[in-house]
Amino acid sequence: MTRRIGGASPTLQKANAMTSRPGIRVGVIASMLTCWLWSAAWGGQPGATDPAEGTLPALGASFPIKVEVAWNRFHDHAGLGSILARLHEAFPDLTKLYSIGKSTEGRDLWCLEVTARKVGNPDRKPGMYIDGNIHGNEVQAAEVVDYTAWYLCHQYGRIDRVTALLDNDVFYLVPMVNPDGRDRWLRDCNGAMSSRGGSAPTDNDRDGVADEDDCEDLNGDGCITQMRIKDPQGRWKRHPDYPEYLMVRAKPDEPGEYTLLGWEGIDNDGDGRVNEDGKGGYDMNRNYPYDWRPPYIQYGARDYPLSQPETRAVADFVLAHPNIAAAQCYHNSGGMILRGPGREGGTMKSADERLLEIIGARGERILPYYRSIITWKDLYTTWGDEDTWLYGGRGILAYTDEMWTERNLYKGDKAPSNEDEAEFLKQVLLGDGVVPWKPYNHPTYGAIEIGGSKKEWGRTPPSFLLEEELHRNMAFTLYHAGTLPRLRISDLAVTPLGGNLFKVWVTVENQRMMPTRTAQDVDHQISPPDIVSIQGDSVRVLSSGRVTDRFFQRAEAVEYRPQRVELETISGMEAVRVQFILQGSGPFTVTVDSARGGLLHKDASLP
Amino acid sequence: MDLGFYHRQMLSVFLALAFLAPAWPALEYANSQALTEQLAGLARQEPNLVRVRELARSREKRPVWLVDIGIGSDENRSTRPAVLVVAGIEGNDLVGPFTARAWIERLMKQYREDPPTAELLKKTTIYVVPCLNPDALERFFASPRIEGGGNNVPRDDDHDGLVDEDPCEDLNGDGLITMMRVEDKEGEYILDPNEKRLLLKADPLQGEKGSWKLLPEGIDNDHDKRWNEDGPGGGNFNRSFPHNYQYFTAEAGVLPISQAETRALADFVVAHPNIGIILTYGAADNLRKTPRAAKPPGRAAVDERDVGYYETFGKLYRKAIGLGKEMETLSEPGTFSDWMYFQRGRLSLAVRPWDVALARELSEPSKEKASTAEDKKEGAPTDPNASKTDKKPAKKEDKRDEDERKELKWFDEHAPEAFIPWQAVEHPDFKGQRVEVGGYRPFALANPPAPMLAEVAAKQGDFLMELARRLPRIGIGKIECHVLADSVYGIEIHVVNTGFLPTVLAHGETTQEVYPTRLILDLEPACFLAGARTTFLPTIAGSGGTAKARFTIHVAHGQEIHFKVVSMLGGQAEGTIPLLQAAENK
Repeated sequence: MTRRIGGASPTLQKANAMTSRPGIRVGVIASMLTCWLWSAAWGGQPGATDPAEGTLPALGASFPIKVEVAWNRFHDHAGLGSILARLHEAFPDLTKLYSIGKSTEGRDLWCLEVTARKVGNPDRKPGMYIDGNIHGNEVQAAEVVDYTAWYLCHQYGRIDRVTALLDNDVFYLVPMVNPDGRDRWLRDCNGAMSSRGGSAPTDNDRDGVADEDDCEDLNGDGCITQMRIKDPQGRWKRHPDYPEYLMVRAKPDEPGEYTLLGWEGIDNDGDGRVNEDGKGGYDMNRNYPYDWRPPYIQYGARDYPLSQPETRAVADFVLAHPNIAAAQCYHNSGGMILRGPGREGGTMKSADERLLEIIGARGERILPYYRSIITWKDLYTTWGDEDTWLYGGRGILAYTDEMWTERNLYKGDKAPSNEDEAEFLKQVLLGDGVVPWKPYNHPTYGAIEIGGSKKEWGRTPPSFLLEEELHRNMAFTLYHAGTLPRLRISDLAVTPLGGNLFKVWVTVENQRMMPTRTAQDVDHQISPPDIVSIQGDSVRVLSSGRVTDRFFQRAEAVEYRPQRVELETISGMEAVRVQFILQGSGPFTVTVDSARGGLLHKDASLP
Repeated sequence: MDLGFYHRQMLSVFLALAFLAPAWPALEYANSQALTEQLAGLARQEPNLVRVRELARSREKRPVWLVDIGIGSDENRSTRPAVLVVAGIEGNDLVGPFTARAWIERLMKQYREDPPTAELLKKTTIYVVPCLNPDALERFFASPRIEGGGNNVPRDDDHDGLVDEDPCEDLNGDGLITMMRVEDKEGEYILDPNEKRLLLKADPLQGEKGSWKLLPEGIDNDHDKRWNEDGPGGGNFNRSFPHNYQYFTAEAGVLPISQAETRALADFVVAHPNIGIILTYGAADNLRKTPRAAKPPGRAAVDERDVGYYETFGKLYRKAIGLGKEMETLSEPGTFSDWMYFQRGRLSLAVRPWDVALARELSEPSKEKASTAEDKKEGAPTDPNASKTDKKPAKKEDKRDEDERKELKWFDEHAPEAFIPWQAVEHPDFKGQRVEVGGYRPFALANPPAPMLAEVAAKQGDFLMELARRLPRIGIGKIECHVLADSVYGIEIHVVNTGFLPTVLAHGETTQEVYPTRLILDLEPACFLAGARTTFLPTIAGSGGTAKARFTIHVAHGQEIHFKVVSMLGGQAEGTIPLLQAAENK
């Protein structure tokens, strides 16, 4: 349970109602004055002053901080929304806050758009789309998106790379695609894997009733844990070294102590099964339209692609922003930088894969113990996942970043053993992370015990590692964003051809690694072509075309509409040259219009 | 042409169906407004039977209607076996909406006059979507009249960064967008030597050199030397469903089920799992010919355990429309019909209600004759005349275009106004060249000439009547009750399917979208010595197939036990086990 301290101030509440933005929580800071007076009177003790004064910030995310956020905890939907709202208030020139849709239960899907709004046209800058938490239980996947917003806003104008990113590019930050699942996971009793899906009722056991037999917190300890029963014929026993932490299988020739009975709960609907039809029961990250397969092939796919309001909102948003060239979808866990395709033989053009490999390899260095791998080949087959659609359907270079790996517990490339994990729980977390087994009288099973791992254990980092996790994952994604196409008209050469005839060469340079249109984009004509055009009141275009050899001065001639030259793509770190043969005089303007590379103008004049 | 003129004519449709009208007159068909008024009129006539509600609003804010025919409350209707008929899902379908509306009228009439139909409607629900794409339908009534598959969602068809910048124009002012042919040395076509109104692709292997270009009617608005390549018009609704969806094709649209209309239809069928038979009017057809079967089912091949049902419905269909043999048909990707079978596990029929190939076959049956053809094994040669797709040139005689020539001949004999004679026009893009405008009238190739419309609709109606009779229908067979000891009973309940289709098709089991039939006893769990409150029954075959469930129960003497059978497609039934009698009978 998250507990709210204080409420929104009346003014802010009003602003809130008017703009329908996430609530801004104003923590009422306790009066420290009394404390100060008390301690001053006694002397010999440090003053209980504001410790933030007189500090030297550690490197990474430096002061002054306008919006204080503690990054070692998980915020609910309102909390993460409130961070975005505060950032928007503190950084109006860098942000725009809106909702891209509503969840099944009516929560807003917030988006904070972050860019230097006064530098260039925000809608025409190359776009980086970042979302998280499409799986409700994968909570740090939303914190990292808020952290990114917080970091970008505070470091703009302070760190050159951040300044350049916000001057040139635009970030669309959607922390929670599944806020219903998130709030349920945070507030209600849950296990590590529960509340993953959406919240629309689903009849998992096909008995005509939906969501009628979920887990319960039987013993009222606030956690959904495991049930076990003492059983001379059981095949499980407590681990001899970590009896409070670990259950292990009895050896084949050894009697066991317990039978495991699964998640905590009862048979609510009297069908002889326990917890077989919990809340929801589908997976929104199998609901995207590229390589989608129905539920009998892909569990959780739901009735048809984009059937859910959340996934539909994301798809509509991406379609409405043709400038989005790159994307990151945050998840937990496993320490994996996943790229498509989701299935063997799925779509992945080699030129695009090469880029994803290079960026992913950098990610492996930024993120110790993470592996940059291919979903179907190195993990498992998925149909209809988000990054497959973003890439296959829209030609956007996208990853699924699975945040947190237990390899980080003991800082090694090898996964820790069960005993290692129990050791960590016992000696590093001092036991926090498990609920001790306690007896319970179950209506069906009789005298049982309930206990085991808390929901936070396994898929989320402990508090003191969470901030590192957020920062490193953001750093990887900022590196990814740093490869977005960056166009420049680097040269505009006018050569007189005699009389009022001129040859104009326009050099358009892409200063970054990512092409304006990926191979997938070009192959399926997803984005419009990049268009280099020329216009002047007293200028007539006689011929135009791409320069095929700048040294031998070879150029093509377009078949029609010579005032505009269509380019398939502008490759990364390269330049294209376009020739115009002009007749006339006076000023003219060259325009480069690239959906994903931006809109550029350059003025010049014929002598 | 003046729209108001058409509108006034439309209003008179109620009063008099014009028999003297020429073929494809606007007034035979109803535009969105007229359809709305017609349906409202029907609902007023029989409010207890016919309900009309808005399923969606189209992109251009026209209502998409859902007609719901049945008796009783919403809950009654939504638990009974149901048929869904969808028309006007493809932009050029006029005959489907006409047929659907005519069938509703017929159901209403028979409900009043024919007791078996009245009985049937008391235990069946009929859902009809008479026109899913009213925006496209409206183009038939617009000036100029233009035929197209989808709605008017903007799209950059030619991928040049400009949207909808090169539409068609009515060059000869006849109110119709047809074709134009341009005499041009770079053309790919020649005039068909046997029929100068038709053009043939020049065959370089025969030393032929093209001399005509064949283009849609209009000018090159955006000066890209392509004519009318980017007019308004988005994807075809009936290519946008997720089975075999063809990503990136123009017809499929940008995303599957992306329009308000298609989404509403999809949500409707998801919310109405009682629909057991679906019939969709469109270009695809699986009734003129039995679809292919395979195990496991393929993209277009149904499960071999289900194909017999398709075959049966095909025979019924051909009988209803008077077709004596199987005819080649088309399947299309991404259809609503295929989605409903391949992903949702329902018997899903696709009908192309009319085309000239069918009209020819019905008016002058080919030599391979009816009576035997129906019994032929699959793979037997079909009549080459019937095949529109078979265009391989014969070696000696020039048979190219033979089908097209025969089709044109049929139109000449039955509806000569269908083909607009080529007429010379001045064309700004082809100064000094011979340019002619003509060809088939829009909508003429997919919809029957007016005098035939009533008959087509009547025959389709005959077949539609068959559907409701062939749904699965659950009932209770015998109940056996034995007293095993004091207050201990052995019970066996037989559940029977008196309908025709099984309670679950094989592919309904595979997809898991059709749930198994449940038998639920109204007893506390503690009463069951053997068996449980809810029993999932295996699939029950039609025509009297039976499933049994056995229980041993422990209850007080004289207690009646109520039970309920719930079938997703076959309806529900309730029964009582009279225990007292059983005890006395011992």
